[in-house]
Amino acid sequence: MVRAFVLLAPGGPAGHAPCRVLYARTFGTPAGTAPGGPRQRLCRKEQLLVVARQVASQCQLLQSSLGCLSSPQLPQLPDELMSLQDAPGGLFQMPPGDPFPEGVTVVWLSVLALAFALVCEPQENLSLAEITLRRLAPRLLLSLRLLGPGADVLLRPDAADGLLDRLLPHGQMLFLNEHFLQAMDRDMGIKTYH
Amino acid sequence: PPGAGAAYRPEIQEEELRRFTARVSAVLQSPEPGPEAVDALQRLHLTVAATKYPRKLDGKFVELLQTVLCSPKSPEQIQVLCAAILREMSPCNDLILSCDEIQDTKLLSLVSSVLLAQGEVAAVGQRVVKVLERRLPEGQSARFLLPVLANVISLSPESLTEEQTNVVSKKLADWLRYASIQQGVAQPSGGFFSSPRTKQPAPITEVDGTVATDFFTVLSVAQHYTQDQWLNMQTFSMLRKWLLCYGGKELNTLNPAGMDRCVTSMVPTTGTAGRLLPPRERLRDKAFEYCQRLIEQSNRRPLKKDDGDLQKACLIEAVTIMDIICKQDSSYVCRAVSFLKILHSRICGDATYARALLPIAQFFLNHSKLAAVDSDAIYKHLFTDIPAQLFHNPSLAFEFVQFCKDNSQLFTDSSSIFRQSFPNLFKFLAWNSPPLISEFVDLLPFLLDAGTTIEIFHLLLDLPCLTAALDIQLRAASLPASEKAGGDPAGKPATCLEAFRHPLYKSMFQYLLRTKSAPQDAPESLVPLRQLLGALAGSPRVVQCAETVPVLLELFFRVVAEFADGSLINQLVVLLLQRSDQLYEIPAFKEDVYRVLGSQLAVLCSLRPALVVELSTEILEFSGAVSNIQSKEAIFTHMAWAVGEYLSVSYDKRCTVEQITRFFETLEAVLFEITQLRPQASTPSCAPRAISVLMATLTKLAARSQDLIPRVSMFLSKMRTFVQSPAATSVYCEEDLEEILIRATELMNLLKMPSVAQFVFTPPQASSRFQREVNDSLPLALRMVTQFLEPAPGSMPV
Repeated sequence: MVRAFVLLAPGGPAGHAPCRVLYARTFGTPAGTAPGGPRQRLCRKEQLLVVARQVASQCQLLQSSLGCLSSPQLPQLPDELMSLQDAPGGLFQMPPGDPFPEGVTVVWLSVLALAFALVCEPQENLSLAEITLRRLAPRLLLSLRLLGPGADVLLRPDAADGLLDRLLPHGQMLFLNEHFLQAMDRDMGIKTYH
Repeated sequence: PPGAGAAYRPEIQEEELRRFTARVSAVLQSPEPGPEAVDALQRLHLTVAATKYPRKLDGKFVELLQTVLCSPKSPEQIQVLCAAILREMSPCNDLILSCDEIQDTKLLSLVSSVLLAQGEVAAVGQRVVKVLERRLPEGQSARFLLPVLANVISLSPESLTEEQTNVVSKKLADWLRYASIQQGVAQPSGGFFSSPRTKQPAPITEVDGTVATDFFTVLSVAQHYTQDQWLNMQTFSMLRKWLLCYGGKELNTLNPAGMDRCVTSMVPTTGTAGRLLPPRERLRDKAFEYCQRLIEQSNRRPLKKDDGDLQKACLIEAVTIMDIICKQDSSYVCRAVSFLKILHSRICGDATYARALLPIAQFFLNHSKLAAVDSDAIYKHLFTDIPAQLFHNPSLAFEFVQFCKDNSQLFTDSSSIFRQSFPNLFKFLAWNSPPLISEFVDLLPFLLDAGTTIEIFHLLLDLPCLTAALDIQLRAASLPASEKAGGDPAGKPATCLEAFRHPLYKSMFQYLLRTKSAPQDAPESLVPLRQLLGALAGSPRVVQCAETVPVLLELFFRVVAEFADGSLINQLVVLLLQRSDQLYEIPAFKEDVYRVLGSQLAVLCSLRPALVVELSTEILEFSGAVSNIQSKEAIFTHMAWAVGEYLSVSYDKRCTVEQITRFFETLEAVLFEITQLRPQASTPSCAPRAISVLMATLTKLAARSQDLIPRVSMFLSKMRTFVQSPAATSVYCEEDLEEILIRATELMNLLKMPSVAQFVFTPPQASSRFQREVNDSLPLALRMVTQFLEPAPGSMPV
């Protein structure tokens, strides 16, 4: 199961633009979490920020090792789903207690000035997690017009929720072959060119 | 639309918030909430989500949100937004939401997301099972509830009773095995092209286009899917979780106790006999069958390229589920073993299937003993070939290292293929340093023992070289065949790439890139290779790898200290001094490595003080080289300190006066050279700390061999002149020079009372805490003695 999904702007190298969480969704509160009202909520937000910062750091390190310069700009907004086969991404672990009570594995993908991350339970099918991310990202980019100027992803949580509710319902990753995916896109009104 | 983007400020005051929620309230309660309501809710969500500390919303307003959420008349988008706001606020005391009355499965799923965020796991679990138990009304699908159930059991498996899990297991088994094998039909949309009569449904196909001849799975293709086919996909997606939670609670009643050969376990589990099985066992049976079918289906070449990725993910999942099933019921092991062996031979040569080799190997590790099957070939291929070929695949690298950590007990056997392959494992780290360094911190202790210590020491120091060599290996492999010849063997290679196959360098490359531990094959020296690879020292990947080495080195020494015997410690110290000259030429890397080696040298000496005597030749050679004090200050300083501390008959009876004198003279010469009043261009400058430590060491040695006292005293008395000379004041700052002078004075004063000096500098071995405290307070003792000797302030020696 996926514990959380995070969409972030990694920002620049240390000292430049800070890393920002643009949208995050957790899937359920683990039973036994100390009921603490505001504290629990704060804790959740801080945990997600820690994840985002770690993703940003790994992203910058990978891009530097690949010899990428600062993110290129797209000539125009895509109006169809991008293929993210070559997008840089990675996997890393976060140990128990830092920041979640149990250890987690984070799977991440970066596209231009954004990054997407899935926080997975231990022993999860990481191949499927990568597939899920590579499907979520372009659909989010398209429906939220994330790459455009004045992109108000923060103002359209319903669009992001709608996509997550179908491709990652309650944090459940789905074994969708291309035809299942096509059927889902039809349901969501997404035009794709398969 | 109003309030778009730039003009909106999320950090509005309480009063403004109250006015805003009143407006939202009004808009929501209008007969047909439209875009204005959507916009208002979106802005409210941003307000609530933007702050770290929660915004307090009016209790009545929260109630309204809940009512709107649960009302079937509300538009879907508004329901989604209400749920998002309620989730964002959770945990929230004003939430009185209940899912008990909700019939619509889609809405139930949405409401559950709020309740689960609130922590109401059991209530959701109960409701979902209740709905699943009964026959759903027309138009409702259970497919929206399975993910909710999966979330419930992963948050709190105790939410369901055994009876409930049995009910669900029964349904899951049916959904897995008996989904329709006809394609669904498109929803009738009317319009110009809609046909008046329904078309004959087509059969499902495989991913390669052939018509399917067996039951429906996630790898089955249709243009439109039926509800039960969606359920099939959902069921498989949560199957592993379900089996882990509820598959193995009871004793395995189908396997009589004492059975240890699966040859005799021929339990009928298929066909009509399957219907007689209890729900748990029946699900296990259908799941096993499903996994077998998936594995067969993954052999087909997909028409759509992206289906290939899913095939591999399905393969991994299927093998993992089979592993779980076999753990829960060992009667499946025999069938699984033969099946997976065939699978392994099918995919082991295909690099794109490499990740699937890990769960297969895990299966054999878990079960091959029971099946009396020899799986050594599988492990050998996995550890010898895969890291060497695919170190550059970051996902594989991560999963491979996780596999090693999960099976760390395998590395305890020093002769096993697992332990022997550590040079291969480090390739993953060398290439993918940032994500894997913390994993290797966990893994390294399992790789270290008396037999591997030396080889791993060298390997760690050369880790960035390994990165560079791997880079060249990759580039060489992608050259066209015509260029692979390697240039002129008689001449010198012009580039690193040419050097790769050049006879001068080939064997060094091969050693660095070896797949197995081979301490006896180490070439005479890797210095030429390191120099050659210097061209790559600035590459980002090499630099990232270099940054991991100090951490690993510290850990290395900490672990080795726990088991190393005297002989190994001696070996390490000698190597440490040797290797300090033979490091990859990255300045920051060398600095950090010297720092670690220096402090660890001191630790090693404290573990085995006698080594100062036993290795006196090597130590004298190192300490006598003046260049070392500048280029490797950290190591030199700690070495000098260790000599002062431990070269004493109280640590080793073999310590003679001659030895003390020899060390004294060597160090005196070095100190003399660096404190010259008229330095030459070749005179090294060095850190003030080194000067202090040398002075202290010389004093300590003199205290033990009192003939040397006059020499030291004279030397120390000359330090005032040095400190005031232009040679010193131009290089060192005032504080440092003052510190040196104070230290020289203290030491001189101590020597005026030789018996006190001897006591202070040669305590008996600190075996009690009190004695250790005495040693630690040495500087304090020095100062006290100085004050005792100089009652009048300002009386300094000439």
